[in-house]
Amino acid sequence: MNNMAMRSQIYEWDASRTDGGGNAIASSGTNQDGQRLSIFVGGFGNNITKPAETTATEFVVIEDISISPTAFMVANNGAEPLYRGLTQAEGLAGGRSFCQVRINTTDYFLDPDNIPNDGIPGTASPYPRSIDFQPSFNLYPDVYVLPGQVWDVLATYYNAAGFAYTAAVIDPAQLQCFVKYTLYDGPDALIANKLLEMGISINPGNVDWYKRSLLGAQ
Amino acid sequence: MITMAMRSQVYEWTNLATGGNSSLRRSTTDVPVAVPTNREIDVFTGGYGNNITKPAETTATQFVVIEDIAATPYRNGAVQIRINTTDYFQNPDVTNQDGIPGLASPYPRGGSSTVAGTNNLLKSFDLYPDVYVLPGQVYQILYTAKTDDSGSTTVVACFVKYTLYDGPDALIANKLLELGVTINPNNVDWYKRSLIEQQQKAAQAAMQMAAGGSV
Repeated sequence: MNNMAMRSQIYEWDASRTDGGGNAIASSGTNQDGQRLSIFVGGFGNNITKPAETTATEFVVIEDISISPTAFMVANNGAEPLYRGLTQAEGLAGGRSFCQVRINTTDYFLDPDNIPNDGIPGTASPYPRSIDFQPSFNLYPDVYVLPGQVWDVLATYYNAAGFAYTAAVIDPAQLQCFVKYTLYDGPDALIANKLLEMGISINPGNVDWYKRSLLGAQ
Repeated sequence: MITMAMRSQVYEWTNLATGGNSSLRRSTTDVPVAVPTNREIDVFTGGYGNNITKPAETTATQFVVIEDIAATPYRNGAVQIRINTTDYFQNPDVTNQDGIPGLASPYPRGGSSTVAGTNNLLKSFDLYPDVYVLPGQVYQILYTAKTDDSGSTTVVACFVKYTLYDGPDALIANKLLELGVTINPNNVDWYKRSLIEQQQKAAQAAMQMAAGGSV
């Protein structure tokens, strides 16, 4: 395969899928609610073969993360079991889900007391986006994964009753997480490192600018 | 732990707690707790919903830029920023007010002004210019519900988006503040680049001097 130097990449995780060896989240017995689940190798939903990591010649820039949204409403609203397409329980419609980025062993999102938190709420960064659920958050500045680092995206949900289940297994599209990142490979990863040293934001436009400036200097 | 110098951060508060009016961590057993009407509630340590371990403050090597605040629109919710003891949003007669209405800055965006979900609200408000929390300052985000929820407990929420500048980037943020330049990741990067350029020029000049040339 040819190494294409800059590539826009995405990863979508769905808790109902089982490809890659993961299990679908069940309505009871698994106790995954309140736990942090790696969307890559957490054992639930679609998984990949090994943890996400960059090689010595790769540089990853994470540009967006989002997860299934939650709506807030009146507690014990039995008259309205569905709210905007989400299952309602305990005043919440949806799973009360969050997603966190971890680089090596460091969590990216912190509370103001400097203690790592659950990450971005799906209510602030919903996936999918809709008229009912629009983003309040954009990941700026981007998150850089340097060569040789291991990275992960961790999904957490607290309201298991806010999902729909069929035969005790979560339905598709009830709990999904989405990651958008750019992979810089080979020479472009070297340029990305150079831009990082220079304090310049790493994006395809700036990588191209650096290449042009090298060509101009020759 | 690796210190990442500029980080986009969020804090979401809801009136959901386990075993009392507030709890430190979110839990699967959280239930809505009643929020009093017309009382400012600190979303960090106010004693309702999810709280953190201590008041939000910046250390000597941190600089916080608050870029967005929002609240659930129903119950006439509003959200105010307090830095040390000073409220950010004031009435034209310089008296206190409750802050930005959730109707103007709704959370979630696209959420409804009624608990029945009868409409989709868009934001009318942008927090621009941003709010700066300087090193060593304490800050609070205060939520006020201005109408009663008529006996049924509603889940209310508040959202804060901020950027945390840490270590060298906090020093640069202070420098930008002195220079009167807006503090954002782009400008911090610009300042770093200008420092590097200055260093490179100084190194070139030193080399020329050493070689006996003129500067």
